[in-house]
Amino acid sequence: MVCKTWIDRFSSYFVIFCSVIIFAQSDVPRPRGVSLSKASLYLPTKDFTCFDGTATIPFSYVNDDYCDCFDGSDEPGTSACINGVFHCTNAGHRPQNLPSSRVNDGVCDCCDGTDEYANPTACTNICEELGKEARAEAQRVAELHKAGSQLRIDLIEKGNKKRNEMAEQLTQLEKDKSEAEKIKAEKELLKNDLEMKENEVLKVYREAEELEKQKKLDQEKETNLKESTEHFNRFDSNNDGELSVDEIKVVNVFDRNKDGQVDDDEVKMFLGGDEKVDKDAFLSTTWPILKPLLMMEQGMFKPEDAKTDTTETEAEENHEELDADFEGNEEDNSDLDLQEEHEEDETVSEQSKSYNDETQKIVDQASEARTQYTDAERTVREIESNIRNIKQNLEKDYGLEQEFASLDGDCFEYEDKEYVYKLCMFQKVTQKSKNGGMEVGLGNWGEWAGPENNKYSVMKYTNGIACWNGPSRTTTVNVNCDLETKITSVTEPFRCEYKMELSTPAACDDSSTSQEHTSHDEL
Amino acid sequence: MKVWALVLVAAFVIIGISAVDKNKFKTCSQSGFCKRLRPFKPEKSQYSLNLDSILVHGNVLSAEVVTIDAADEKRTVLWKYAFKLSALADGTFRVELDEADPLYPRYRTQLALDGEPKADGLKLISKDDGKVILVNTQGHKVIITSEPLKLEFLDLNGEVAVVLNENSQLLVEPLRARREKVEDEDGDGANQLDDEEGTWSETFQSHHDSKPRGNEAVSLDVVFPDADHVYGIPEHTDGLALKTTTSGDPYRLYNLDVFEYILDSRMAIYGSVPVMYAHGPKRTVGVFWHNSAETWIDVVNYGEGNVVSSLVNLVTGGQKKRVDARFLSESGIVDMFVLMGSTPGDAFRQYTALTGTTPLPPKFSLGYHQCRWNYMDEADVRSVDENFDVHDIPMDSIWLDIEYTNKKMYFTWDVVKFPRPAEMVANLTAKGRKMVVIVDPHIKREPGYFLHEDATELGYYVKDRDGKDYEGWCWPGSSSYPDFFNPVVSRYYSDRYRFENFPGTSKDVHLWNDMNEPSVFNGPEVTMPKDCRHYKPPQDGLEGLAAYWEHRHVHNEYGLWNLRATNTGLLDRADGVYRPFLLTRAVFAGTQRYSAVWTGDNTAEWSFLAASVPMCLSLAIAGNSFCGSDVGGFFKYPEAELMTRWYQAAAFQPFFRAHSHIETKRREPWLYPAATTALIRDANRKRYALLDFWYTLFYEHTVDGLPVMRPLFQHYPDEPATYPIDDQYLLGDALLVKPVTTAGASSVEVYLPGDGPWYDVDTYVPHKGPRITQPVTISKIPVYQRGGTIVPRRERVRRSSALMADDPFTLVVALDANNSARGSLYIDDGETYEYKNNKYIYAKIEFGPDEMTYTLASEGAQYPTGAWLERVVVAGIRAAPRSARLQQDGRQTALQMTLHKGNDVLVLRKPAASMARPWTITFAY
Repeated sequence: MVCKTWIDRFSSYFVIFCSVIIFAQSDVPRPRGVSLSKASLYLPTKDFTCFDGTATIPFSYVNDDYCDCFDGSDEPGTSACINGVFHCTNAGHRPQNLPSSRVNDGVCDCCDGTDEYANPTACTNICEELGKEARAEAQRVAELHKAGSQLRIDLIEKGNKKRNEMAEQLTQLEKDKSEAEKIKAEKELLKNDLEMKENEVLKVYREAEELEKQKKLDQEKETNLKESTEHFNRFDSNNDGELSVDEIKVVNVFDRNKDGQVDDDEVKMFLGGDEKVDKDAFLSTTWPILKPLLMMEQGMFKPEDAKTDTTETEAEENHEELDADFEGNEEDNSDLDLQEEHEEDETVSEQSKSYNDETQKIVDQASEARTQYTDAERTVREIESNIRNIKQNLEKDYGLEQEFASLDGDCFEYEDKEYVYKLCMFQKVTQKSKNGGMEVGLGNWGEWAGPENNKYSVMKYTNGIACWNGPSRTTTVNVNCDLETKITSVTEPFRCEYKMELSTPAACDDSSTSQEHTSHDEL
Repeated sequence: MKVWALVLVAAFVIIGISAVDKNKFKTCSQSGFCKRLRPFKPEKSQYSLNLDSILVHGNVLSAEVVTIDAADEKRTVLWKYAFKLSALADGTFRVELDEADPLYPRYRTQLALDGEPKADGLKLISKDDGKVILVNTQGHKVIITSEPLKLEFLDLNGEVAVVLNENSQLLVEPLRARREKVEDEDGDGANQLDDEEGTWSETFQSHHDSKPRGNEAVSLDVVFPDADHVYGIPEHTDGLALKTTTSGDPYRLYNLDVFEYILDSRMAIYGSVPVMYAHGPKRTVGVFWHNSAETWIDVVNYGEGNVVSSLVNLVTGGQKKRVDARFLSESGIVDMFVLMGSTPGDAFRQYTALTGTTPLPPKFSLGYHQCRWNYMDEADVRSVDENFDVHDIPMDSIWLDIEYTNKKMYFTWDVVKFPRPAEMVANLTAKGRKMVVIVDPHIKREPGYFLHEDATELGYYVKDRDGKDYEGWCWPGSSSYPDFFNPVVSRYYSDRYRFENFPGTSKDVHLWNDMNEPSVFNGPEVTMPKDCRHYKPPQDGLEGLAAYWEHRHVHNEYGLWNLRATNTGLLDRADGVYRPFLLTRAVFAGTQRYSAVWTGDNTAEWSFLAASVPMCLSLAIAGNSFCGSDVGGFFKYPEAELMTRWYQAAAFQPFFRAHSHIETKRREPWLYPAATTALIRDANRKRYALLDFWYTLFYEHTVDGLPVMRPLFQHYPDEPATYPIDDQYLLGDALLVKPVTTAGASSVEVYLPGDGPWYDVDTYVPHKGPRITQPVTISKIPVYQRGGTIVPRRERVRRSSALMADDPFTLVVALDANNSARGSLYIDDGETYEYKNNKYIYAKIEFGPDEMTYTLASEGAQYPTGAWLERVVVAGIRAAPRSARLQQDGRQTALQMTLHKGNDVLVLRKPAASMARPWTITFAY
């Protein structure tokens, strides 16, 4: 029966493929489900030895629908072994190896229908049809690659040109840089010279000011001491030179949260955790906390202004810090000439100071020199930054022949029902909801991530905006050959991992398509 | 699925808390009646049975019960009640106490019972000394003490097995009319109750409960003498054996959508099944508290170390073992079924006799289910489906969560993501697979949505306290809820499932009713306000408050009505030909008749994997055998080892479905390292090899009402060591499963009950108990087959269960000390009701030293299966036969045998007998 089937097939193979050599090989009789390459392992004249060598069984046990070999090799044509493999030749199309669980399960898996031999009417042989379609598709792809390769050549040219331009730019910038550095050095000398003079004339003014400040501080200290001693004596109702918990508990002002009583937390706060404090400890620990409260009570003081009030809430503190930073920046920009460590109020006072004409002139000259130096410095920085950018671009991997170079910075959009996606080549990927809202970064240019033999088929954009409770977003861009550069689909197959299909002539490769034709190894 | 609101999720995660927000849910002291009545424990019960009023008719004793003011010498009758004691078939009694003449009818739970319970005979033996003694036909006596009222139920040895009102906590709060706001008229104290805070309204957080009927709670205490433990009253997370509740809150039963529920808690979650079993070496008994209102249950186990021993002696009169329980519900009547046992199996069966069994499920539903919130579009579904084949992992269904709908309007599709649902389903069914889609009970209030427009126009929604359509917030935004209590609404809802009304569906699209507690995001405790109004059949003279039921009366039953309507719809859409599959989250007594259940929104943590066993065991003994947990955990992401262990555990639990939250990382089996994928494949294959064993167990459940997944003490009631075990269990009486539920395990301790031997199913190595240390690798699932059993397997695992229909069987015979074993096998078409027309095979398989027989046990039943006998594996064989011959259809065949001396396993090669007809294999020595 088996031979008859093979002979029947013979004629059709012949007509279709006229491939005498291949055909001759396929005439080898072999058990069902065995590929041509393994046919020699199944010899009806001998006992069968499992491929793993663990058992030898009568040949009649091969394909008898009972699994005898651990490796499943005795049942290539039945579903008996869970690890068995069924081979279908699929003449006219590609051959296939199926898990044996697909044999006679009522589903047509082989296009020639041989996997469903228990029910011969279940499947029709559609290999011819499929083979034809596959060949047509291969043909189409080959032609596409061919046409695309022409465009790719243009892209390579553009890419090379762009790189050459960048290289030229770089040379120019290097020149500009040395020029600018020279100017910077000159300006620095001038500035240093004038600043020395300025320091000289301002010295007198500064010393006077320093004196004034010290005096003011001493005064404040004295007042503070007096005031705190007064309070200490007042609270120390038994005059034993120590403030105890009991003494504190009767004083309203210690009721920090205004709940009508001085509770343990409050006592703890004011006494620094101790049972009592003496006068010194009061001065160093309690008083700094207490004073602002007293002032507040007396309406002299608003907590927002209290830089020393350590009990302010964190949010308020942050707020203050932010303000301070902001002011600090302003200061930097407007008063570069003044010592930066000075507090804001002092800066203001210095500005408003009046000098005599001579001094003023020197101060003005020094200011002017500083401005010029800063400008020169900025110019150098700008050039350096340009150089860095160009170098970075020159180091970017634009493909084997720079075919992707001209696309750097080009942006492509794709719209679906809810979002507009934007891919800026070698820069970033973003997503924006059509209902408005912020643009969300789906990743910044990372690297080429295709398989070893086809590195430039996949781009990875990484480190996008983090998902809540998850990783930062990434986008994988599959790069396919087509005549136009565009995004053809965007999906999010996994949470926060986006997938884009990009078609571009840059990915067309005339030579690579030859592989597509070579799949009919067994006809 | 499902969580409260995404916004909330985000908030939780940001502050790094990942557990339930307990403030959302009531403690006993925040629940008016629990706070008021938990301490209620008078010295002496006021309830007294009027002996002169006794009437025994058929199986029912009825009598008048009155409450008497004990402080009053005149013995003033405070209130009158109607008392009924019924004897029911199979050692079951029912005790009912209602007001004799209530102001309005009190709610009697409608759907929990599977029809009217079968009556038994009841005979009055004596009536003197203030006691009435009765007996049922089996010989169980009931002693009723008239004053104070007490009921003692005696086992067949004449020992007291169950006592009601021993602790004087029987209570039926009489309904009262609300007085107008007038000053206390007579000041006799009786009105104080009226005026007590909370009687006519309660507030929880910002939610106001108008309580128009005032207080109407009911309560009853039960004493179980000689009991070591009590079990049941799911759904909770704190283990199979219930614990003493004297510190902390009682167990609560109130169906709630609890976001990120926590373990080891007595908090209420999605399900409420008020059945409790008490077990000790002397007997097993049970009680079923037939009530659908919010219920709290206190337990005191005097055998527990932490109950002070002096208290034990005081209360129990020196009895060593005793467990007391007390049921307290917000409304309804006292309606208690007493299940007399006497074995655990008897008590479990007595409960399913009352509330029904799980009907035979379509076979695919015992396979592996692949779910996620959400498979986003048709391409996603296709790719998941294909990947199972690429990785050769068997799978029977792909599920769609809420995102498949058009803006969460159920019975519609998102036409952009799912433009061709019928084609998508056809792609699955081509490989024998099915689809399951979700339909939640909340209805989007959207102009133009047919369901909303119909329901609005026809008045099909649940009403608020003012009689207007109740509006709550759920997935679709503003939503209303069908009032399934109205038969017209249920009918209408059932019809939505007709193929023509739900385009894209077919007999191969099955259903999932989630959120049916019901979940209402902005409602009190995330559910419907208790003063919402439900349908009550119109009746003359019933107006005002008497014309409707309040949600408080029916709350725990709401989901059941939803499921019944769905089930009816699924039967009707296929003209009663095909068996539907349905999954629910809300559970109540009787749910098992319509639906499988799962343990809701769990978390990807080892502790939740471990909890899946006691949670499903509790549900199983409460009738819901078809139970499982989300494989991998719904919230968070399971790393490879946890995922592996979860698949391995769930492969041996009845309902086997992977599921995950939409915001979590994808976790289909092939997204793990290849080694993990391979382990998952192995776990799934183990499941599929045993599908017919599972199917047979579910068939037997329909006949004997016993759980499929069983606690060890069910079969070893005399082994006290088994009583507290809830980290291992039995499947039928043949397999013992001890899932690995800890990280990095290199061994597990296994308790092997009985005499053994127990055969490791992977190696056929026999083990003797009671305790062994089983070394485990990451691929090991500790499962043992009891000596004396035969388990059917199919070793040819295919893509889906349907494709295995005609594949051959391997019978694994595990020998007992007598070299014999028995088992059974059920076969039918796997999807229709034709088995009810005798189109099935139920075979008894017996193995003895001389022969092995396969006989069809059901008279007249036949099924033309193509399945045949591929192999017989006999484990534990000591004397191997010299030859074996198969006889079938009058033909004899000599069989090849191989003896594996290393582990005493005999394999009969390819007998090739048809499983459609009887056969015998004879052995010669």
